Amino acid sequence: MAERDTSRDIDQAASGWTARLDRGPLTPREEGALQAWLSEDPRSRGALLRAQALSMASESAQALGQDFDPAAFEEPGRARSAGLSRRQAFAWTGAAATVASVAALSVGVSSAGAVISTERGEIRLAPLKDGSTVLLNTQTKIRVRYSEGQRLVTLLKGEAYFSVARDEKRPFVVEVGGRRLTTLQAGFRVRALGPDPVDVLVNQGEVDVGASALTPLASPVALQANTRLILSERGERPQRLSPERVTQELAWREGKLAFEGETLQQAADTFARYSQTRILVPDAGLAREPVTGLFAANDPVGFSRAVARVFDARLEQRGDSVVLTQAATRSSGSQ
Amino acid sequence: MSGADRQRTRWFLRNILPHEQALRGWLSRSAPSGVDPDDIIQEAYTILAEMESVEGIVHPRAYLFQVARSVIMRHVRRARIVPIHTVDDLERLEHFDDAASPEQYAIDRDELRQLARAIAAMPHKTREAFILRRVQGLPQRQIAARMRITENTVETHISRGILFLIDWFGRSGNKRSQTSRTVEAEIASIDGRARHQSRH
Repeated sequence: MAERDTSRDIDQAASGWTARLDRGPLTPREEGALQAWLSEDPRSRGALLRAQALSMASESAQALGQDFDPAAFEEPGRARSAGLSRRQAFAWTGAAATVASVAALSVGVSSAGAVISTERGEIRLAPLKDGSTVLLNTQTKIRVRYSEGQRLVTLLKGEAYFSVARDEKRPFVVEVGGRRLTTLQAGFRVRALGPDPVDVLVNQGEVDVGASALTPLASPVALQANTRLILSERGERPQRLSPERVTQELAWREGKLAFEGETLQQAADTFARYSQTRILVPDAGLAREPVTGLFAANDPVGFSRAVARVFDARLEQRGDSVVLTQAATRSSGSQ
Repeated sequence: MSGADRQRTRWFLRNILPHEQALRGWLSRSAPSGVDPDDIIQEAYTILAEMESVEGIVHPRAYLFQVARSVIMRHVRRARIVPIHTVDDLERLEHFDDAASPEQYAIDRDELRQLARAIAAMPHKTREAFILRRVQGLPQRQIAARMRITENTVETHISRGILFLIDWFGRSGNKRSQTSRTVEAEIASIDGRARHQSRH
């Protein structure tokens, strides 16, 4: 028996039929194919209904007007003509463009090294002259020093994603916290946030992690794709991660934050890295509630609103802060 | 789409779709293991699509949850082995949440903005085609001429745009069965699908 279609396959087909119907009337043959598809699986008709409903919902986009410019929705309220804002928040399309290597900052690399940094809420793609790129997350600083023998980048603070172009003769080295991460070709994330230990996550390829000064005799660890290593003095052990988990960890590259059961407090702390707006959760019980979902990194207020809905909390905006408090009469979920 | 179909679609859009996230959250918390919430949702929608009339449905949200529950029962019966806790869960499901929360409707004011943001987040070419179709209102044939691509390619972009909206408004692209409570607003697809698509 053929493998059962996933709900995803069915949504894909439903979207296809909806687009086809949007194009114009079906030929009799297509009509037959549609009916056959509909009767094939008990989920098809429902999926088609949903696809058509969303297609219908999108018709209201006409209200956006003829001169709708999607770029304006990168961050609502920010004038496009304004000069470079210091707090240049990244947004959906902005970040997407970054990923697509469209918006790029060219870096002149001298032997002394070029320093590249980002402000809070900013994301920046730095193409290097060998074809490698570094994507800097919020509040990040790197120094680039290329020489004959190696391509050296020092992560001074923050978080960055390195896409390393292959070069057999010149290894790519990331220096962070006195350690050296070496690769010939890889895609990997390195995070060095204040007091937390350095966190390395390999997405593609392989990265060798050199020994620390304290354990000079230890042999380097080779990290494969979908592996993470927390660099600490004792007991470094690579963890295997599911591809979904890797995607979640790297969601910031698209201007998003993904949570999978982190506490509300942890989520609030994460948002604080990206925005001046603080999310305050004075109630310890509420602060411990787990949150799950994908959010725009530059929209702490939207996130707070969603949290308030789910946890039945009260939301109050005071200046640069959003305060979430437990509503007085909180109904419990089950009876 | 015939007039009646359109009416059903509109009813579904207004009365059922806003509860999808709540339903998915509930299913991922409570459905017996081995039952995929997304399958249940699609099947429940099929039942709603095939109903003669929806006029009698006074509380669409409660009704939707009922229908989903009946689909689960059908699956469980089909599987024949019913773990004991499953029965408990199903009993519990019955009492879940039949009142629509007023907050649900507050979101509507933001709908257009949400839509604009969803469109803005689409892969580049898809976004261009989608804007020409939905904002400018051009037929697919004219979009093909404007973008210098074939009509079939336009259709593919529109199809991707719709799939993108399904993900954007309904789910995150990840399975979230472990957590006890789920915040699901402002969700978009993060599984890289968008980028894969833009490669074609």
